[in-house]
Parts: sequence; C-alpha cells; structure tokens
Amino acid sequence: MMKAVLVVHGGAWAIPDTLAQASVAGVKAAAQAGSVILKSGGCALDAVEVAVRVMEDNPVFDAGHGAVLNTNGEVELDAIIMEGKTLGAGAVSSVKNIANPVSLARAVMEKTEHVMLTSKGANLFAESIGVSTVSAQALVTEQERKEWQNYKKYSVGVKELFNSQCGHDTVGAVALDEFGNVACATSTGGIRNKMVGRVGDSPFIGSGGYADNKIGAVSCTGHGESILKVTLARLILYHMEQGKSAWEAADCSLHYMAERVQGGGGAIVVSPTGDWSVTFTTERMAWAAFKDQRLLYGLNPKEMFEETLDC
Amino acid sequence: MLPVVVVHGGAGHIPSHRSELSIAGVQEAARKGYAVLKLGGSAMDAVVESVAMMESQGSVLNVKGEIEMDALVMDGRTLACGAVSAVRRVANPIYLAKLVMEKTSHVCLTAEGASQFARAMGIPEVPEESLITDYARKRWKDNLGKMGTVGAVAVDVQGNIACATSTGGMINKMEGRVGDTPCVGCGGYADNNIGAVSPTGHGESIMKVTLARLILFHMEQGKSPEEASDLALAHMFERVNGLGGVVVVDPKGTWAARFSSRQMAWAAAQQDQLHYGLYKGEHFTEPV
Repeated sequence: MMKAVLVVHGGAWAIPDTLAQASVAGVKAAAQAGSVILKSGGCALDAVEVAVRVMEDNPVFDAGHGAVLNTNGEVELDAIIMEGKTLGAGAVSSVKNIANPVSLARAVMEKTEHVMLTSKGANLFAESIGVSTVSAQALVTEQERKEWQNYKKYSVGVKELFNSQCGHDTVGAVALDEFGNVACATSTGGIRNKMVGRVGDSPFIGSGGYADNKIGAVSCTGHGESILKVTLARLILYHMEQGKSAWEAADCSLHYMAERVQGGGGAIVVSPTGDWSVTFTTERMAWAAFKDQRLLYGLNPKEMFEETLDC
Repeated sequence: MLPVVVVHGGAGHIPSHRSELSIAGVQEAARKGYAVLKLGGSAMDAVVESVAMMESQGSVLNVKGEIEMDALVMDGRTLACGAVSAVRRVANPIYLAKLVMEKTSHVCLTAEGASQFARAMGIPEVPEESLITDYARKRWKDNLGKMGTVGAVAVDVQGNIACATSTGGMINKMEGRVGDTPCVGCGGYADNNIGAVSPTGHGESIMKVTLARLILFHMEQGKSPEEASDLALAHMFERVNGLGGVVVVDPKGTWAARFSSRQMAWAAAQQDQLHYGLYKGEHFTEPV
C-alpha cells in the first residue's frame, strides 16, 4: 500500500501581511479536511475535491465565496478536477451563482460525456442535476466590492494587476491515495476586473491541472495567460517523465515560464511514489501538505513548518 | 523546404458522396494559405486565412439546434495565443480568436463575453441561419456523428510557426460543451523551437491526453512529425479509446498528416506542390 499524500495551495501572488495569517490557516484547514478522507482509506479524487471545497467556502481565497469581480462587477468561476487512473476530467468555465464549482466540475466528469461546460450551459447543467444556486451577491465579500470599485477607477492590464498586490488566490489540491491513484483539482474566480467571459488557465486541462497515475498530478496557480502559453501542468509532468523529481520538474518549468513569457506562478506536485513538491516564483504562496501523520505548511520561499496531526 | 502549410478538414466520417467536396475544400484552403506565404506573409496570417476559408463551408448544431463555435490561434515565436469558446453568431470565429490574442491581455473569452468583445471590435453579428448549411441541418435531424473541425499549421520563410483550429463541435452536443479546440495544448500548439500541431477528432479524448502538446513533447525528444503523431495517436487510442487526426510541421518544414480515424481530409502545400488525401495511405500530388 502506498503512503497517502495531499498537498494544497491557496494561490501564488504577493500575499499582503494582512491576509497572511488567514491564508495559512485556510490552507491548513483544507489539508486537514483532505487528510481525513485519505486516512480513512478514501480515494485521491474525494480528497482533492473536499480540500478545494473547504477553500472555496473560505472568503479569504479567490474561489467560490470570496471570488473577485469582473469588469461588470460579476463573479465568474472556473474549476477543473482530474483523476489519474482513467484520465477522466471535468471542468466548468465562467459559471455563475455556484458556491462549489469544483463539485460541479466533478459532476461534468461523472454525469456527462463531456470534459468541459461553459457559461450558461454549465449553469443549465447544474440546474438539471439539482445543484442549488446561490444569489449573485452571496459569493461577493464586502472587501472585494471595495477593492473592485477602487480598481474600476483605473484602467490597467492583467499583468499590472497581477504583479500588484491585488487578490489572485486560485486554490488547488493534488493527492495520492493508498491505492496509488493520483488526482488534482483547481478552482478560481480569476483576476479582478477581468473581461466578461475571460477564462484563465484553471479549467483548462494540462494548464490549470493534470493527473496521470503513470506520472503524477499537478495543480497550478499564478498568471493564467502565461500558464496557458506553456501548458504548465503538462510541462511539469513531461519533465517528470524524463526522470526529474517533482521539485526539479516544477522548478525548471516555472523558470522556463518566467524566461519565455515573463510569467510568475506556482505549482504543487505529487508523484505516484509519494514524491511531492511546492514551488513558486511569486513572492509568496500559501500551501499545506499532509504526509505520514504530519501537517507541513508555509507561505514564504524556503519556509516549512511542521505539526503532528492527531490520529 | 519553407514555406509550408498543412490543413485538415476534420477526421469525422465523410460519406462518399461528400468526399470530392471535402477534398476540394482542403485543397482550396491550402492554396489560400500558401499564396499568403509565397507573398512573404506570416505563418499566422496563412493559417488564419486557410481556416477562415474552411469555416465558411459551414458549422454544426448543438442539442437545441443552435451553433456554438470554438477557435484557437497560436503564434510560435512568442507563444501568444487567442481563443474563443461557445461563441455564437460570428461568421469567422478564427478572426475573433486572433483579435483576443492581439487586442486583449487575455487568452480565452467564452460565450456571451466573447460575443460582447466581438461587438466591441465591430464584428457584425450574422443570423444563426446563415451559418447553418442544409447539410448540417440534415445531419442534426438524422442525429449523425461528429464533424466540423478544421485546422492549419504553417512555417513561413522567416521560420515562424503558427497553428489555427476552428470548430462547430459535435452534432447534438450539450449547450455550453467546450471541446479540445480552444484549449491550448489540446486543440493546437505552436512553438518556433519545436513545431506546430492542429488536431481533430474526439474532443474529450484529445483533451485527456493534451494531444497537440504530447506530439510536440515527442518531437522535442527527437521524433519526426510522423513518428510523434503516430505514437501520440496510438497512446490516445490505448489510454482513452479515442480516435482522431493531426496535421504537424517542424521548424525545418518537415510535415505530416496522420490519423487513426477512418478518414481525414487533408492538404499540404510546399515547393509549389499540392499534396492531399482522404483515406489512409492516400497521398496525391499535383502542382499548386
């Protein structure tokens, strides 16, 4: 039997000190929730879904509740989930009024013949399977409404926005269960003041995430357009296929992304043997990992704290 | 060996009475792209013009009998890309995808947001009726299989590489279904250092193996476009039971048109020769 591993991230960006503590607490809570599944013999797919749901429900992260607003002042959400045994995948893009897009993505994977549903079609599907909707305002925090009004006054491009201190905390998880299955999930509200209908990397297979039992699983975060250009998740796994470790593969791929398209970001990775890594080229990334009854976490580069989990 | 353009008109089942029409379609598209390249035009312009020509040959319908279209362009020099998904009432989604690349800081716009952007760019809305050919309507009524993806890859005389793919997706698809086409690395990928790929076939399978990027990974490992395509298509069949086809070029102008489906209408133009085929093993040549 494999030793189960779960790694989560709460987004790679210049997380301000005011959000630091809440972000770390949020990823720890998510890792703990996912670890409960794995410890009781659950599968990697359930673990990543639960971990991401916990972060979607946490308003500190830009996913589900707490998502950022587009130029029209609306929330549009993207998510993907993938399991490495069959390469089954489900994704939704630009969906509205859904509290947990990652679970809707899973329903796309399990209840349709398709991989991705977008916009109104995704909402129609949610309705058809009885997923309850929330009001447009329910997902918006008071803080985000203020930040958005602030940004509305200035016309700035995505890169400027991304490189500033504004929220861009996509969330994600990767896991390996005791049966040797890997899975990934990523969920986001995108970037503040994005164009209506803008889809970033998160719901795109191979960019926002990828999982293959033969190679490993990855969930990405960072400048979405750059991640798409280099298909970051698949690129990291390609390097692992060529013999690199989880950390080496993520590190060389993130540096390639910085050089080739000048994009910053982060990735969490797990391999079928339990090798895992957390890597980012941004100032900070909140992350937490569960392995061997231990909870590891960090925020700044080269930082790693450890706690023992109660059994 | 440069310039070169290779196009496909989809890997779905083409009934025999339509085969001449679909061959003529890809030939015309390859000639169009090649003319752009011979006049010193860029690979990007060539693939977009080739695809736009095939787009005008008609799209397919979703489950409500409406047309939702996806398209992707990618520039191998900068890795810049533009995509639209589930967009309606535009005559040429490929032009809109190129505008997303050139005029926004984003890569992909979807559904109503993509339509809003089209209006902002002054692209006229066309009535849905005008995008539906009688043939598409008949296929929809008869609940026939899938069809309708077109694509192109090219290398220009400067050595720049580009790809473009456009689709009306599957017949009777769910509203809002997005296939491989607008997904970077699945429905296309272009990198001046490696080559370019435009796939067609079962979209969900292409997505699960990120087919375009997978072929280019094999080429980075020293495989030829043909070997890389065959390996990746075999992998797609073994792992997820999916069929499809691809057109591929490398920076030297070596090209391939390979498919695991029964047919794929394809054409290539290089050194003033037009190559084309439809069934496996077919390869006809005539002067451009």
